[in-house]
Amino acid sequence: MRKEIFNFLKRNRIGIILLLVLLLSKSGFAQEQVTVQGVVRDTVSGLPGVVVKVVGEKNGVTSDAVGRFKLVADRTATLSFSFVGLKARQISLRDKKVEKGVIELNVLLSSDNTALEEVAITGFGNKQKKASLVSSITTVNLKEMKTPSSNLTNALAGKVAGIISFQTSGEPGLGTDNSSFFIRGLASFGTGKRDPLILIDGVESSATDMARLQTDDIADFSVLKDAAAASIYGARGANGVVLINSKLGKSGKPTYNFRVENKASSNTQNFQLADNITYMNLANQAVITRNAEGFEPYSQFKITNTADGADPNLFPNNNWTDRLIKDYTVNQSYNLNINGGSTRARYFLAGTFNRDNGILKVDPINNFNNNVRLNNYSIRSNVDFDLTKSTVIIVRMYGQFDDYNGPIGTNNRSGGATTFDNALRSNPVMFPATYPQSKLQYIEHPLFGSSKTKNLDGSFSPFLYVNPYAEMVKGYQVYKTSNLAPQLEIKQDLGMLTPGLNARAMGYLRRISHFSANREYSPFYYQALIDPTDQSYQLTALNDGGLNSAGTPGREYLNYVPGGGAIDSRLWLEGSLTYDRTFKEKHALGGMMVTYMSNYEGNGGDFIGSLPGRNTGVSGRFTYGYDNRYMAEFNFGYNGSERFDQSHRFGFFPSAGIGYRISNEKFFEPLKPVISNLKLRATYGIVGNDAIGPAGDRFFYLSDVNLNNPAYGAVFGRNDGAPTSSKSGISIFRYENANITWEKSKQLNLGIDLGIANSVDIVLDVFKQKRSQILQRIQSIDNASGLAVSPYANSGEAEVKGIDLSVAYHKNFTKNFWTNTRGTFTFSSSKQVKVDEIAYGSSLSHLSRVGYPINQGFGYIAERLFIDDAEVANSPIQQVDPGNRVPVRAGDIKYRDINNDGRINSDDKVAIGYPNQPQIIYGFGSTLGYKKFDFNFYFQGSARSSFFIDPGAIQPFVQSAGYQSGLLQTIADDHWSETNRNVYAFWPRLSAEYNANNNQPSTWWLRNGSFLRLKQVDMGYSFTNLKKIAVKNARLYFSATNLFVMSKFKIWDVEMGGNGLGYPIQSIYSLGLQVNL
Amino acid sequence: MNKLRSMPFKKTLLVGALALTVCVTNTSCKKFLDVVPDNTSEIKHAFKIRNEAEKYLYTCYSFLPKDGDGWFNVGMFAGDEMWLPQNDLAHWHNAFRIAQGQQNKSDPLFDEWTGLRKGNGNFNAHLKIFMAIRHCNIFIENMQDLTKVPDITLTERERWIGEGMFLKAFYHYYLLRMYGPVPIIDKNAAEDATGDELYYKRMPVDDVVNYVSDLLDQCLEKVPTTISQENTELGRIDRNIVLAVKAKLWLLAASPLFNGNPDYAGFKDKEGVALFNPTFDPTKWEKARDAAKAAIVAAEANGHFLYRFNDVGFKFSDTTKKQLSIRNAITARWNPEVIWGLSNSYFINEALCMPAMARGRNTDRFQLMGVWGAPVKIAKMFYTKNGVPIEEDKTLNFNNYTEVKTAGVSDRFNIEQGYQTARLNFDREHRFYADLGFDGGIWYMKDANDQKNDVDNRFYVQAKNAERSGFGHFTNWNHTGYFIKKLVNWESTTNGQNQGPSWKGYPWPEIRLADLYLMYAEALNEVEPGSATAIEYLDKIRDRAGLKGVVESWSNYSSNAGKYTTQAGLRQIIQQERLIELAFEGQRFWDLRRWKLAAEELNKDITGFNILGKTTENYNVERFIFSQTFIAPRDYLWPIGNHDTRRNPKLVENLGW
Repeated sequence: MRKEIFNFLKRNRIGIILLLVLLLSKSGFAQEQVTVQGVVRDTVSGLPGVVVKVVGEKNGVTSDAVGRFKLVADRTATLSFSFVGLKARQISLRDKKVEKGVIELNVLLSSDNTALEEVAITGFGNKQKKASLVSSITTVNLKEMKTPSSNLTNALAGKVAGIISFQTSGEPGLGTDNSSFFIRGLASFGTGKRDPLILIDGVESSATDMARLQTDDIADFSVLKDAAAASIYGARGANGVVLINSKLGKSGKPTYNFRVENKASSNTQNFQLADNITYMNLANQAVITRNAEGFEPYSQFKITNTADGADPNLFPNNNWTDRLIKDYTVNQSYNLNINGGSTRARYFLAGTFNRDNGILKVDPINNFNNNVRLNNYSIRSNVDFDLTKSTVIIVRMYGQFDDYNGPIGTNNRSGGATTFDNALRSNPVMFPATYPQSKLQYIEHPLFGSSKTKNLDGSFSPFLYVNPYAEMVKGYQVYKTSNLAPQLEIKQDLGMLTPGLNARAMGYLRRISHFSANREYSPFYYQALIDPTDQSYQLTALNDGGLNSAGTPGREYLNYVPGGGAIDSRLWLEGSLTYDRTFKEKHALGGMMVTYMSNYEGNGGDFIGSLPGRNTGVSGRFTYGYDNRYMAEFNFGYNGSERFDQSHRFGFFPSAGIGYRISNEKFFEPLKPVISNLKLRATYGIVGNDAIGPAGDRFFYLSDVNLNNPAYGAVFGRNDGAPTSSKSGISIFRYENANITWEKSKQLNLGIDLGIANSVDIVLDVFKQKRSQILQRIQSIDNASGLAVSPYANSGEAEVKGIDLSVAYHKNFTKNFWTNTRGTFTFSSSKQVKVDEIAYGSSLSHLSRVGYPINQGFGYIAERLFIDDAEVANSPIQQVDPGNRVPVRAGDIKYRDINNDGRINSDDKVAIGYPNQPQIIYGFGSTLGYKKFDFNFYFQGSARSSFFIDPGAIQPFVQSAGYQSGLLQTIADDHWSETNRNVYAFWPRLSAEYNANNNQPSTWWLRNGSFLRLKQVDMGYSFTNLKKIAVKNARLYFSATNLFVMSKFKIWDVEMGGNGLGYPIQSIYSLGLQVNL
Repeated sequence: MNKLRSMPFKKTLLVGALALTVCVTNTSCKKFLDVVPDNTSEIKHAFKIRNEAEKYLYTCYSFLPKDGDGWFNVGMFAGDEMWLPQNDLAHWHNAFRIAQGQQNKSDPLFDEWTGLRKGNGNFNAHLKIFMAIRHCNIFIENMQDLTKVPDITLTERERWIGEGMFLKAFYHYYLLRMYGPVPIIDKNAAEDATGDELYYKRMPVDDVVNYVSDLLDQCLEKVPTTISQENTELGRIDRNIVLAVKAKLWLLAASPLFNGNPDYAGFKDKEGVALFNPTFDPTKWEKARDAAKAAIVAAEANGHFLYRFNDVGFKFSDTTKKQLSIRNAITARWNPEVIWGLSNSYFINEALCMPAMARGRNTDRFQLMGVWGAPVKIAKMFYTKNGVPIEEDKTLNFNNYTEVKTAGVSDRFNIEQGYQTARLNFDREHRFYADLGFDGGIWYMKDANDQKNDVDNRFYVQAKNAERSGFGHFTNWNHTGYFIKKLVNWESTTNGQNQGPSWKGYPWPEIRLADLYLMYAEALNEVEPGSATAIEYLDKIRDRAGLKGVVESWSNYSSNAGKYTTQAGLRQIIQQERLIELAFEGQRFWDLRRWKLAAEELNKDITGFNILGKTTENYNVERFIFSQTFIAPRDYLWPIGNHDTRRNPKLVENLGW
């Protein structure tokens, strides 16, 4: 018995001493009460809803919206700070300074159980103290990712150092409003995967999966940027890795966190069309200016009557944009999560509902909705329980469901974009959207207006004008997607074998199913036949299917067009051993070995696509730190992919890094008050990419032949009734090539972490990446070789250099007023080093892509517009397209003859402008808190990118089947004309026919893609004393996204680039309420 | 530090190493990545059994030019023989762009070197000739390996090899005709060849000719004398075809373009080898003569003869019978005159030839388009009814050929009686009326009436503006006023009211006996000037066309009565006879080049009647359409194009490009 007590005392030495001290102190200072106040923060900003208690007492307080708390406690009390998903802390007040009865206490809570220090996620479920990290990993602060946009990918730009990101469309659903993002920019010009690997709870996910995530449900978000961080992902990590983990439960009573947001969304900018009188006058001019005897499409009679506002059914005067597009649309989102558990089992449950409506008008004539409406629901249940003292089982269930309804698009454009596009590409004055229903009383279908199109000579052509209104309301598309991913994870502490050893196994099965369908009727079109005596009119059907019917015959009922469906399945299994222990207080040793296998299968559409995609491999990570001053690590991935020949199916991807934390050296002590932290890092390594080449072209080591191709068949025989002999033939899609292998990326990263006076944190990384073995088709194949397809080779090389920088500054000016300011800057510049291209001689060297960035634009150098026809005659022949049917005249674009051969053709193209993806992305913003108010703003910018205006898309008056483009105000205001011979006008001489000479990528259409955008403004007010209604705290906030943009380009939102006529990026204003129970 | 070396760390390493060993060295783990099952489609499967190998043989055939399609028969539209409306892109295609002087080396039109820009648009690369040659080589190589295709008889194996060799030879000939010197691809370069072995160089014309000729000789004994299984094999190669192609090859080699052409005297490849032999070689004409003779002997021995309409079931005038003899020699399926019919390319453009007819019940211009038009100069080329050129006929005056005349009763099988039309359309030979439709011209079709005669309900053409066959439709009209009647099968049914035409297509006659006769005559006159045998063979052609012999016609009607007695005079006669007889069959384009006459002919203006005219007076006026230009010697040969000359360092571009 005595022995046991002794042992007990020995084992709990410290606890007992503390207990004694506490007991003593309690008796000594029991009567002294102090006010404790301060801010609870995580690494970036104040935390609302942190429960602050005096240890041993029942009641406590909760921190407010910006993390402030205030309570009265004994001078000797210990306070506990706890918050869902974060490590609780206990702080004794004994050694704190008291000033005038107040203790000022700032508390940092971290999201991990290794208290006090920030932790980064390093892949395969592992974590590492940030302080000991040598690789380049950005830990994303989730608060900053909260925006009113329900698409997480749109929150990345400018907020995560090292990510180049841009958004070109605001159309919800279908993944159309996702931002494209690339870690450290585009590094490959291959045709395979170039965007990062995204892992959500270890589950390989698409950008759209990520878009649907709710920030409220995310525990941590890391971006692995260099080889040292990503090489454990071996063949799949070359483009960087995004790791996102959802929250786990926390023991205790259930807490509820509920958020509701109402959002109004409108286009950031609409393109402006000229009025229809100008339209008709310039349409006439477009014909006459090219051919003085041409047929003027609009009579003076029509123009005058339209101007006078005569009956719009006879003299239509449409503003399609107004007719099709609403000013704004309203959306909702709801998110609820519940968190709690017993000591042995914990749970985190979350449910989300988002509704994103498009901005298209819906007509009451239909009982269906042709506007975009994306409902997405998700349910998440993360349960973990302790099976034994050393075994934890985590079961995660995640279901994500999209219900989409939207307008019908075309093969390559979504419905929303098509509608915007049609608004510009439809004739505004030839027909009204609909005729009054009263005109034909027995007909129930809408009386859409249209008319037969005319040729340039005035004769009728067989097409009907596209009525964009009919196109929009004629039907709808639905799709439903579900994404289910149950996941099981077991963690075993193997401390009994040796302290610091842990094992972990994880597996998931993810099934995605998707179907889509179109339902549409075929509209009936009518034309007004005017009685000239009294200007009354009768309607005549244009497409009733009769003898003179034009276009597609109408159909009253909806029919069904299957849009396809897909089901795929991914099974993933991984197992790992980790070891983490510090010896003799100074030697921190860590190790990890992981093996994994994955199998992906789906209905791929063809034989090759249906075969499983597989990866397997083993990865390891070994770290050593000495005295928190010197660190070193070595990582590797040894991976196999099913795509390659057996001889190089497996690849080895090593990386290593070293770090030096100077600020922990003794000699640094005097500098510490100024420079609180200084660390230097360097890493180098190799990462691979097996997702090369087009998705349908996977097995390069096998030939691919069609042994029954009718295109290569033949028929023989008399063919007079007796059977002939007919057989299909053979065609070759791919020759076997056993040499094709990974794309490889060698990456060097040099970093510096600098903390100044505990209030400024700077992380700066400089990187250089060399991508080699990029898969490309061999260009120099002579046609005489007769090869059916050019073979591929791993012959490309590219280089990326750049920096990424993040700066954060946090300061409490007074106890009521604090700020938190941060900024990021990412610069990434690529260079194509080895491109398979033909041997251009010295006179054509300007055509070579070598040395230029990836996605560099090439085009002609436009000098100006031709002054007169004599200049055209005396200049090099402009033969940009030998089939061009419009002769080059004064007022057309004059190009420079680069190779001086007296003619302008594709040999005269040169690299112009910056690449079409920005080389610089930056952002900066600040959060200011004052008492219960908080205010937050963020600017985001982009620089060094160029884009081409697509003149073919905006050329007015040119008719193509039933489409005839409208007139942008910019063109109406500023074009070359015989009376205004401005050789630098925005638009060249008008033409009613497609004019290939002016429709070329050239400096004339090149625009600067730089912009600076006020991306986000938030204002909030927090309520804290709401105990009467059982609310711990609540925050009411107003938030706005994409408020304005500064750019030289004014015609549409510059971020949309050449895609300017699509569905615009949205400005979103939202009012939200967040409640914690 | 001692602890570092102690047990726990070792254990970790051990466990890690174990994990590594388990996965990576385990064969099952390697198998895990072997996802591709056996028996996926690979090239080796093509020669496992006869049935699959036969598909490969058919593949070799599938690249034969689709000459029965005006969009793919470059001879039809790249020259001056036919013209299309240009106001609209509906009938626009690559060959026709060449006719309009748009050929270029950055994106060559009708580019057989790359297989691009054939037909309508920039595609159709699947018909690349070099790909065909590669396939032929693979086929021949595999069939020569007796271990492959075990279930085939030796005779059939030999025949297939022979067919493969013929096709390979023909594809070389086809390229030679377009490009002059071309690479000889007797063996394929490896798929993964690099550098020097990857690139072929162009070979001198004489080498190519000899190579093709030898190959044709080799395959001659392997292929059957004639096709016996007509129901399933007509269209496959027999000896008649081999000999006919050999005759064409040597005629091309002997002709002025390739035989001692001074324009190309200095044309050398990058190693300095002359690609053209600058010395005229008269023995080439002898070879051409012998080859043509051999082809004729074989063809006649195997039952080929000049077609004549001979159906007693019809009560036809002599005129109609003669004209049907001319038309049906092309359009009757497998008629005895056809030496090589392309069973894989039936003529498919009849709707573009035939307009809506007066007295016809179908007036739909989408179904009866009549878009293909012959320029006035082609209409003038045909002889008078006396069998001599219109400029030479001393009995008939065509000086004012647009002057209007009224058709009388004697014209009634050629021109609607009482109709007023241009002088040019009167007093012409049967081939004029058999080949061309024109304002007022009769267009005999079998289904015009049920009476089996050519008297009732005779279709004729009304081609003035806004008339049935005239200008007025938005895409489909004829730009010259001359329609191509020759290519329309008289048995096609076009007279339905509510039902579209049923076009009776026919395997395109790639080579017919008349062609061989004319080739023989041409070669004979070059070897023995003014050859009587040459005239004998010309007269066979003229007789079928309803004309008197050369001697009689010229003696009696020509202002140049002794023309046939000189080599040059007879050459002209043979050439004109050839151009008339083979008109609209895609031959003129190649013949003008071969004779080096393109620079003269293709620099003339394209004209037509005034299709915008609504009255007889307005309509019968010659209207300028297009000023053609032909730059010699550049345009005699195709540009190889930047795409390949910039890739293959051994390749030289043709002169002038």
